[in-house]
Amino acid sequence: MTQRPAGKKQIVLLLVSAALLAFQIALLQILATSQWHHFAYLVISIALLGFGVAGTILSLARDWILARETLLLPLLLCACSVTLAGSLGFIQALFGGFDSLLLFVNPDEALRLAAAALILMLPFSCGALAIGIIFTSGAERIGRHYCANMLGSGIGCVLGLTGLAGMPAALLPPLCGLLTLLSAVPLLPRSQRGVRAYALLSLTCVTGFMIAQPEIVLSQYKDLRKALDLPGAQIIVAKPSSFGLLQIVDAPVLRSATGLSLLWQQELPQSPAVFINGDMLGSVPSVIGGQNPLQATTAALPFALAVPGKTLVLNAGTGQAVALALGEGAGQVVAVEAHRLLYRTLAKLAQGEAAPVFTGDRVQWQGEASRTWLARDRARYDLIMLPDIGSFGGSAGLFALHEQTLLTKQSLTQAWQRLTPQGYLSVTTWIDYPARNPLRLLATLVELLEEAGVQPTEHIVALRSWGTLTFCIKKTPLGSDEINAARAFAQHWAFDAVLLPGMAARQQEPYNRLQDDTLLELLDATLQPDRRQALYRDYPFRIEPTTDDRPFFSQFLRWSRIDVLLQQYGQRTVPFIELGILVAGLAALILSMLAVILVLLPLTRLGVGAGSHLRTLFYFGGLGVGYMWIELAMIHRFEFYIGQPVYSASLVVAVMLIGSAIGSMLTEWFIKQKPRALTLLVFSVLVVYVLALGPILQATIHLSLWSRIALAISALFPAALIMGMPFPLGIRLLNRTGQDQIPWAWGINGCLSVVGAAFATLLAVEIGYSLLLLLAAGAYLLASMFGLKGERQGGA
Amino acid sequence: MHETNNSLHRILILLLAFLLALPAGLAATNQRASERRAMVENQIAARGIKDSATLSAMRSVPRHLFVPPEQRPYAYRDRPLPIGHGQTISQPFMVAYMTELVSPGPGRKVLEIGTGSGYQAAVLAAAGAEVFSIEIIPQLAEAAGKRLDDLGYGAVAVRSADGFYGWAEQAPFDAILVTAAAEFVPPPLLEQLAEGALMVIPVGSPFFVQTLMLVQKRDGKPYATSLMPVRFVPFTRTGE
Repeated sequence: MTQRPAGKKQIVLLLVSAALLAFQIALLQILATSQWHHFAYLVISIALLGFGVAGTILSLARDWILARETLLLPLLLCACSVTLAGSLGFIQALFGGFDSLLLFVNPDEALRLAAAALILMLPFSCGALAIGIIFTSGAERIGRHYCANMLGSGIGCVLGLTGLAGMPAALLPPLCGLLTLLSAVPLLPRSQRGVRAYALLSLTCVTGFMIAQPEIVLSQYKDLRKALDLPGAQIIVAKPSSFGLLQIVDAPVLRSATGLSLLWQQELPQSPAVFINGDMLGSVPSVIGGQNPLQATTAALPFALAVPGKTLVLNAGTGQAVALALGEGAGQVVAVEAHRLLYRTLAKLAQGEAAPVFTGDRVQWQGEASRTWLARDRARYDLIMLPDIGSFGGSAGLFALHEQTLLTKQSLTQAWQRLTPQGYLSVTTWIDYPARNPLRLLATLVELLEEAGVQPTEHIVALRSWGTLTFCIKKTPLGSDEINAARAFAQHWAFDAVLLPGMAARQQEPYNRLQDDTLLELLDATLQPDRRQALYRDYPFRIEPTTDDRPFFSQFLRWSRIDVLLQQYGQRTVPFIELGILVAGLAALILSMLAVILVLLPLTRLGVGAGSHLRTLFYFGGLGVGYMWIELAMIHRFEFYIGQPVYSASLVVAVMLIGSAIGSMLTEWFIKQKPRALTLLVFSVLVVYVLALGPILQATIHLSLWSRIALAISALFPAALIMGMPFPLGIRLLNRTGQDQIPWAWGINGCLSVVGAAFATLLAVEIGYSLLLLLAAGAYLLASMFGLKGERQGGA
Repeated sequence: MHETNNSLHRILILLLAFLLALPAGLAATNQRASERRAMVENQIAARGIKDSATLSAMRSVPRHLFVPPEQRPYAYRDRPLPIGHGQTISQPFMVAYMTELVSPGPGRKVLEIGTGSGYQAAVLAAAGAEVFSIEIIPQLAEAAGKRLDDLGYGAVAVRSADGFYGWAEQAPFDAILVTAAAEFVPPPLLEQLAEGALMVIPVGSPFFVQTLMLVQKRDGKPYATSLMPVRFVPFTRTGE
């Protein structure tokens, strides 16, 4: 076996790690655009188990592989480059007709899904095997190698995100392939012509894939594809962005008026529609004032009660609520939207009557996450409008795992505090069945009012149409003028009053009749403290208010009540009520089963029963799970703090990876032993984070963006630094005590990182992010207590 | 002479193929009819659809001829099926439920918005109604019109147009079925609804939960009623 210079290997690690991570980001975007993000996540998670596969292969054939390192490394990198570059084309060529939504009507599609995951596992397995070989053969230099691996991943993260923001997503996989091929160049043996020819062939393939990029075929059920099927439809704007591909479609027949009153008799204006990654975000307002159909929706209720001087529109999106506010005479409108490219693009397009929505003197657009804006802003508003909740016809729980920090009790409390004495807070929700969104929303508002020390029934007014329900709460009790105004507005547009102060009985003949009174009874129960508590306890769905720590407003499923749901709605219906979390649960289950197989398989060669194996499992498993949980908990914390979701996530990942890379490097020079002590140190630091990070971030959120970024880096870096040390220290220890186990340990780490990530969100839903962070600390404690021992342990 | 022989051979081969295929074709037809009867019995009548015209129409319309060839094995199953362009043919129960709601019969004029494959229109026509159907996607409209003609549903008129404006020349209608759900009810459709007539609109995705909304015009004013989601109608049998 010819030894390669360590420097070359580190370049290989840097490049291949960067390529794999950038590919992962590109793939997520491509699959989320063409199909459905839940399945993108499922497919990619399974594909990432390629790291576990590589660990298992290396464990089972360690000696054979290491003896052929010189030959295998370049071959694997070439294979990785070709499969990276061509994976998308392979999938589309083999499974052109695949559509994840058809899984619900045709179970055969599950086989195609599994095949797609397996194909995507190839590049990860090849690349990971190359990384594993370098780690195993160069275990004595593991600090440097791991540093290169971490740094490469950090670079890949940046490359992936900037690549998506600046070029077609389909171009990224071939570029990642090229990067991987580049890493193989220094390893090409001069004596092996066959290998060089293979590299040349790989280059030809990668170049070919780059020239003939496959077109990303959208599912026929994606909003964008349906819009493009309309006569005369055309894409008038297509811009890659860090939030996803922004596209605007115009067609003569595109109109929008969500939940419009049945009494509206005017023409509905044509309006272009905005899509992000193929999913419809909303339509662009084309009129303001008397022609605007939104005035005939329940969302216009607050304007019937009073004409606001200063209005705050949160998650302003395409500006529909801004158009409504301007048309109804609002003096000044502050529109908050994190997606800056969106409103800047719409401002360039704006013309005619609706142009003032984006360019008018009365409107000020703010490019920040609404939740962060609420926490930082000190102005007072006469009206605060929250974004609509739910979607037309229900969403089948597809957004269960989306964090909705704007709808937590703390968020609404902050909004309440920003109101002027005569101010209103308004929010509209689609009426779903079984009722969930309206109940959780009302529960949140009622608890907020109770904690503010006021009688909720005196402050809430709610009207419903055939599909929507709008709640308005006023800072001071509603007076008779306002109650009469609400009644008149309802009568004018054939809406029905649901909640009004002093309302004795509901209208005998409602305009919008429900099949039964269940929803109305449940809303009544939510208003009363004792009945509300009973509802929280007994209702088959979770409807308690959400908190900043568990901001999953659309997650209603109680795992413990699935039997009740099955009994009540039938086995074939339940998945369609709460699909999002069930898919995530399914993903976690599949990954766990595969991971168990991959982790246990090498024991057939390593032998079973030795205590050292269990210690290796605990140590490297604990590190894998703990690292991922910390990363995800920190992304959540800092998203709120920084106020730009994509950039804050990138910042957290970059600081974590760079910090860990430096930490790993330090193990080469200073800290060469005692992995268990280091792991215990990580545990202790994390406990401090659990206790202190929240209050520190809360106290400093008012600082400027750059100060907050500096603080975020300062807060994250120490933990990242020490978190980068236990892995190389553990590998180095194994190198002395049980070399056979090195590939297995690395494989365990890879497998459990993927499984840990899959479980992280499920855990955050159940226990919240603070406890998730504490659990991550626990994983490190477990690694410390039951993990690797020093020299006395003996070889495996 | 040589050409004549060739032609003769071709005719003989075709004739032979026809004779061989005939029993298979008859068996397939019988099989479909049997599936259709089972569909009506298990999925529709068992769930409370009682209207005889609706049941009879559902028994007579060959649903498998309204789906793409690759979907035919599933045509009589209790599920919606894709027909291209992101559109679906509704699950059989949904079609029957909507048909029963509008009580089609001889002399009744029904407007359908969203022809799709033409299956719902065929069922309405088979129940005796005069059907006017609008489809916004030209390819679907053309295919559905031809299919309905070929299958002998002459009482259905299909037009490729924006359903938003309805079919003013034929208004008023005794019932309007909007099979492609929208976030609003187009005002022109309400105008074209006869006094006392009913509009039926499914709300939601065909793959997830669909509720039905009924709009009735009384004294010139529209009143809406939301019905229970269709997927929640109790299932009477366990297997597919």
